[in-house]
Amino acid sequence: MSQVEKKVGLLRRSSSSKKPLKEKVVLMYDEIFKEDPSKHNPRFWDELFLMKVNLEYLESKLESVDGEEVQRIQDNINSLFHHCVQALGEEHQIKVVNALQTLCALFRGVHQKNKSSSGFDIINMLMGFDKAELRMKDLMESLDSLLCGDGSESLKSLCLKLLLCLVTVTDNISQNTILEYVMINSIFEAILQILSDVSSRGQHGYDAVVLLALLVNYRKYESVNPYIVKLSIVDDEPTLDGMGMVVHHALTEYSRQYKAKEEENQGGFFSTLTTMAILLALYEAVHLNRNFITVLAQSHPEIDMGVTSISPSPTTPTTPLGTSPPSLDAMNNQEQLTLDPNLQTSNLLITFLKYASIVMQDTKEEHRLNSARLCLIILTCIAEDQYADSFLHDDNMNFRVNLHKMPMRHRKKGVDKNIPCRPLVCAVLDLMVEFIVTHMMKEFPMDLYMRCVQIIHKLICYQKKCRIRLHYTWRELWSALINLLKFLLSNETTLLAKHNIFHLALLVVNLFNMFITYGDTFLPTSNSYDELYYEVVRMHQVFDNLYCMVLRVSTNTGQWKEPASKVTHSLVNVRAIINHFNPKIESYAAVNHISQLSEEQVLEVVRTNYDTLTLKLQDGLDQFERYSEQPREAAFFKELVRSISLNVRRNVSLSTMSQDLLLKEFSTIS
Amino acid sequence: MGDAELELSPSPPEAEPSPVQPSPPSPSHSPSPSPSPSISITSSPSLSLPSTPSSGPHHHGLRRSPSPSEGHGGSSPALDVISEGMGELTLVIDSEVANRACQEVLLKVKQQQQGVEEGSEVPDPHAATNTATTTTTTTSEQGLPNGDLGGPGTPGAVTGGGVCGVGVKAPLIREEEDPSSAAKSARRRQRHNPSKQSWLLRLFESKLFDVSMAISYLHNSKEPGVQAYIGNRLFSFPHEDVDFYLPQLLNMYVHMDEDVGDAIKPYVVHRCRQSISFSLQCAWLLGAYSSDMHISTQRHSRGTKLRKLILSDELKPAGARARRDPPTLSLFCPSAKPLHGALAAGGGPAGGLAGLGALGGEHSLSPSKRTHQRSKSDATVSVSLSSNLKRTSSNPRVESNQEETVRLTPQREFIKSLMGIGKRLATLPTKEQKTQRLISELSLLNHKLPARVWLPTAPFDHHVVRVPHSQAVVLNSKDKAPYLIYVEVLECENFETSSVPTRIPETRIRSTRSVENLPQCGMTAEQRTASFSTVPNYDNDDEAWSVDDMGELQVELPDVHTNSCDNISQFSVDSITSLESKEPVFIAAGDIRRRLSEQLAHTPTTFKRDPEDPSAVALKEPWLEKVRRIRENSPYGHLPHWRLLSVIVKCGDDLRQELLAYQVLQQLQCVWEMERVPLWIKPYKILVLSSDSGMIEPVVNAVSIHQVKKHSQLSLLDYFLQEHGCPTTEAFLSAQRSFVQSCAGYSLICYLLQVKDRHNGNILLDAEGHIIHIDFGFILSSSPKNLGFETSAFKLTSEFVDVMGGQDRDMFNYYKMLMLQGLIAARKHMDKVIAIVEIMQQGSHLPCFHGSGTIRGLKERFHMSLTEEQLQVLVEQMVEGSMRSITTKLYDGFQYFTNGIM
Repeated sequence: MSQVEKKVGLLRRSSSSKKPLKEKVVLMYDEIFKEDPSKHNPRFWDELFLMKVNLEYLESKLESVDGEEVQRIQDNINSLFHHCVQALGEEHQIKVVNALQTLCALFRGVHQKNKSSSGFDIINMLMGFDKAELRMKDLMESLDSLLCGDGSESLKSLCLKLLLCLVTVTDNISQNTILEYVMINSIFEAILQILSDVSSRGQHGYDAVVLLALLVNYRKYESVNPYIVKLSIVDDEPTLDGMGMVVHHALTEYSRQYKAKEEENQGGFFSTLTTMAILLALYEAVHLNRNFITVLAQSHPEIDMGVTSISPSPTTPTTPLGTSPPSLDAMNNQEQLTLDPNLQTSNLLITFLKYASIVMQDTKEEHRLNSARLCLIILTCIAEDQYADSFLHDDNMNFRVNLHKMPMRHRKKGVDKNIPCRPLVCAVLDLMVEFIVTHMMKEFPMDLYMRCVQIIHKLICYQKKCRIRLHYTWRELWSALINLLKFLLSNETTLLAKHNIFHLALLVVNLFNMFITYGDTFLPTSNSYDELYYEVVRMHQVFDNLYCMVLRVSTNTGQWKEPASKVTHSLVNVRAIINHFNPKIESYAAVNHISQLSEEQVLEVVRTNYDTLTLKLQDGLDQFERYSEQPREAAFFKELVRSISLNVRRNVSLSTMSQDLLLKEFSTIS
Repeated sequence: MGDAELELSPSPPEAEPSPVQPSPPSPSHSPSPSPSPSISITSSPSLSLPSTPSSGPHHHGLRRSPSPSEGHGGSSPALDVISEGMGELTLVIDSEVANRACQEVLLKVKQQQQGVEEGSEVPDPHAATNTATTTTTTTSEQGLPNGDLGGPGTPGAVTGGGVCGVGVKAPLIREEEDPSSAAKSARRRQRHNPSKQSWLLRLFESKLFDVSMAISYLHNSKEPGVQAYIGNRLFSFPHEDVDFYLPQLLNMYVHMDEDVGDAIKPYVVHRCRQSISFSLQCAWLLGAYSSDMHISTQRHSRGTKLRKLILSDELKPAGARARRDPPTLSLFCPSAKPLHGALAAGGGPAGGLAGLGALGGEHSLSPSKRTHQRSKSDATVSVSLSSNLKRTSSNPRVESNQEETVRLTPQREFIKSLMGIGKRLATLPTKEQKTQRLISELSLLNHKLPARVWLPTAPFDHHVVRVPHSQAVVLNSKDKAPYLIYVEVLECENFETSSVPTRIPETRIRSTRSVENLPQCGMTAEQRTASFSTVPNYDNDDEAWSVDDMGELQVELPDVHTNSCDNISQFSVDSITSLESKEPVFIAAGDIRRRLSEQLAHTPTTFKRDPEDPSAVALKEPWLEKVRRIRENSPYGHLPHWRLLSVIVKCGDDLRQELLAYQVLQQLQCVWEMERVPLWIKPYKILVLSSDSGMIEPVVNAVSIHQVKKHSQLSLLDYFLQEHGCPTTEAFLSAQRSFVQSCAGYSLICYLLQVKDRHNGNILLDAEGHIIHIDFGFILSSSPKNLGFETSAFKLTSEFVDVMGGQDRDMFNYYKMLMLQGLIAARKHMDKVIAIVEIMQQGSHLPCFHGSGTIRGLKERFHMSLTEEQLQVLVEQMVEGSMRSITTKLYDGFQYFTNGIM
């Protein structure tokens, strides 16, 4: 009890009186915890919802109820819950607002109290078992009609906050049994409606998307989640576009903040936590809904957040509960293409790539590592999608994509002004190459490297299949891959302690095999095939060393025997090339008395000696395992959703204090 | 189409109250495309003796058919439409006066005309027409005296029809209108004494009288009666024939005096009611042709008003409704019949006024205002009211009418957004930005498709379903941003009534593709070849996997055998066989390298993507190839009615001159076809949207001679040899013939129209060997920068002559012979060409009409006075002159230095 008193005291601190007077609402809460409050005052419930809610007090009061008391006051709490739900149908908006907030406090308080207990106890305490289904149905229906109605935007916002609060009360969303009722009484359609409407999307889009992402993750692997089913079949373009816009906006905002910080030379990286939920939403959309793929390519002008003035929309003086990034309403303006000649055309994919280039720079901290992983998973899904591939490779759709590059000692910064306009797949490849060359470190992100190389492989498979000759500087990719092999070799012992480096090496060597055996189907020029050989021959030592290493490991017995021997076989052609051309080059040098051959001379040797080289046709080079979330990624997503839940919950609760604003709005209305 | 007018005939029974025929059959239903309306007046007795066996019984059936739906299925415009249109006619046309005027004034014209007429033969089989004409003449003779009875002349009949459409309200109107119109006609009657029978009228009613003549008489005659009569006659021509002269009609409407306008308007209004696309065409052209007026007069001009009226979409209800609901019609007409009798007897044409009144005549500022100001307002109101009532009375049509209230909107919005894109593109500095913006803007546009929108340049009805945005290209232009878009459409019966296709999401394409699994579909083929062993290219590589190589390799790599086959699961059938034999497959690196360079060489010569010339690549791709590719990637591609169209959107360019050139080319093409002269030209469609915007139908499978030379680095002849084979082959000879025929055609065009600015960038060469001249920005009296270049009659370079086989060779002589024949044929039909050009000169400030001698000069170039022998000499001289002319070469040089065009 003392804790409660203290909180009241804290709230009152600003007032001048030293002896804090208890608010009327606090007195009424107290009453609820004593006996049936309507016994003495039949108008108790009517009055209660006219009072300004004291969330903190009510929450802590609920928390502090001890075991025996629970039995006694359960009916009262059920009654409070019931009246809250009833009040949602009230015409008087103040009452609706207060009821929503009270519900919020109820959910949170009861969960705090019963952290360890089962979901059924919680439901019982809140609604009573027998009534629960009915109560939740009423609640969801009320929320649905509030969200879809023409009512106040603040009210809608509050509804979403309540839902977010409900969805995140448990750390593990799948343990939140109340959500079973949210599954039965779907608010999916209401969420979609918010996303499809331009103005409501601007104000509530972020919350709606986060809510959707979380709901999709409720007992994802154990049961049939109707939100998954519904999300996977949405084909309404305005809605999907709306979702894309929200994601686009959040990611752009993140990039902008990053840039601003970078320019202030503050350096360092800041949390990706806020965008994590959005990223999850993007993943779910890309993964579940194939219509969403079109949204990725949907062009719209780049929103330069620095230029766009942040004009608060009149309906929301400020976002009441404040989970949203500040300037979401700027989104309203971007529906029309503005007439700024300096504006580059952009699309969600470009925004995402830019964001990923920032996030993937530093993977030391766990949440950033997770963000990078999620980015790569999303890219994996994209690279597997045929439609996405078709626009990635569309020669008519060229873009300049300014990816962020980590400042490194051996390379100059800020040469990115002259990026040519190319098909988008070049940007994806650039991003992969960039990642490969910048993360060869002790804390080796093996998993990310695997994904990275697999993405490249998938893209090349598409090019091979469709005979697309991409004008890309493949050399950069080749040298990055060779350097990666070199790194694996030199850190063999440390890396082997944690990872199966042979798997990665196999993937890398097979990429080379793709180029060697199928180069004729997708390389842009005949010269590029020569250059491939040049690069392999030039770096032959790396391949030689790799061969020695895998041969050594595969002859020993041990867990790496088999994976290592696979690498040995995959090196057949590379070794054939090296063994074929090296003597030729040497003799050329000897005959011509040149100590150091120029590139052109080597290429000449290569060109003239193809015909005597025989390669082995390796099978399955263009086969890949398709991405599947379960079971491989399930644990990752479980953890991810947990951290997102925590983050969302923290943000929702932090902002409850701003209810004043909300009340102000409604007091002027009524 | 012809039926439209004929349908009036049932309504004029007022002449004899024939109770025997509840719905009088139309005797006028002759299948001939231009049935004279006056035939319809022939009293019922004459129809009982069907003069034309073909028409008679057949149409009886139609007319009398108790189930009107059947009848309407056949004859497109239903009774109501026509009657209504006719109602409008009566407003301006006082039938008796018109006829008399015709007789008197046109006699002279006819006599002049006869010279020309005699030249062209009247086909014999049309005896029927002759009989009809005679009958008509007699009738009109009879008709004139008792014109009061309802004017048996065409307009009288029209009145009847008008009443039919307008319905019960007609008498009211008549009462109010009567005094003024009676006075008017009285006045006219004083001026024109009825004279002897008119030969001119006969001409007008004869089969020879076509749209071209009608338009030209409309323009030349200063006599209101004649104009009114012709205005009437427009109804009897097939729509597409009149449509061709729409620019002329509307230019006359805009720039000529009131009488011409009055004569034209009913027809225009009538057609606007029938068709959305006609409405929009009119609105666009009216806007464009009004633009040369001074801004102050323009605002209040007739053209502007009509344009506003059309765009206000008030011309929608009656026509569209009637067409769709035959049952109502049949119910409506009988009841109305007694009324027209009365009306016709009373005051004839006046009744029709109400119909037009409701549509807004040019007398008042706006239709809505008039209802309050004019005395006949009540009638107008009641008419529109009655039509409103009709609209709501029958349930099924309520919806369609609501839809119609926005009937013009989708298309206007579509065009507006295309123009908006062009304007915005013009503000961007680089080609690259323009292209990006274009693509993104179009992708947004895609969201609103499919819709009830269409490309007016297409020859068939369709709905636009998708714009493959990534295929669009910005064309080369310094300060404007013309661009080329491809448009996917679904062909349909009638774009106004057929339902708009439902949207298919972009991604749907994959499912359709896999479902179809078409072998010719490139993607699936690729998928099949995904497995190495079935890639066709490798089929001929067996020798590469010979035992020798294998042995060699085994020596090199001792461990090959032991671990050759890890991934058994993915092996294709072929490789499994090799698996079983435990022998790995080997390939030669040299082959891979060779295939790479071969394939790169064999890829159809795609131009290298040049950000400064993005259109080059797009235009280079063969049309069919492009269609296939886009179809493959379209979610709508599997639909059988899927078609691909392309259009150039021009924003900031005046296409009126291009339109004029198109008309002349079209006319000449027609003439040559009629006269069986095998000249080849390719008029490409032009859509004028305003005085500074429009669309052009691109010529497919054609690249400019400039591009040909630049990319092939060959002379034209060598290029022909390369493309079509050596000079003795069928392919070459046919290409050469095409070349000669098109050269002759365009030489004449260039001469007659004085087409200038003929550099190689403006001459295309198509896949069959034809040349096609484009860009008619400098014709008639205008030439580029007035530098006085290009004084030769047309462009004939030695390269062209080389392709023809050289001077004095057969093909070259054929070329000259074709020109002579073409010129003779063109001369014979000079009037048709002159009319097109002359009318457009009215009120025009276009540079091609600069100076006073434009028409005179044009006429002179037809050399009417020369004998054929003299003409032959002339052709020889022109060819000689053009070949010798250094100015052509000089001009090419000039272009090379200034614009880099070879």
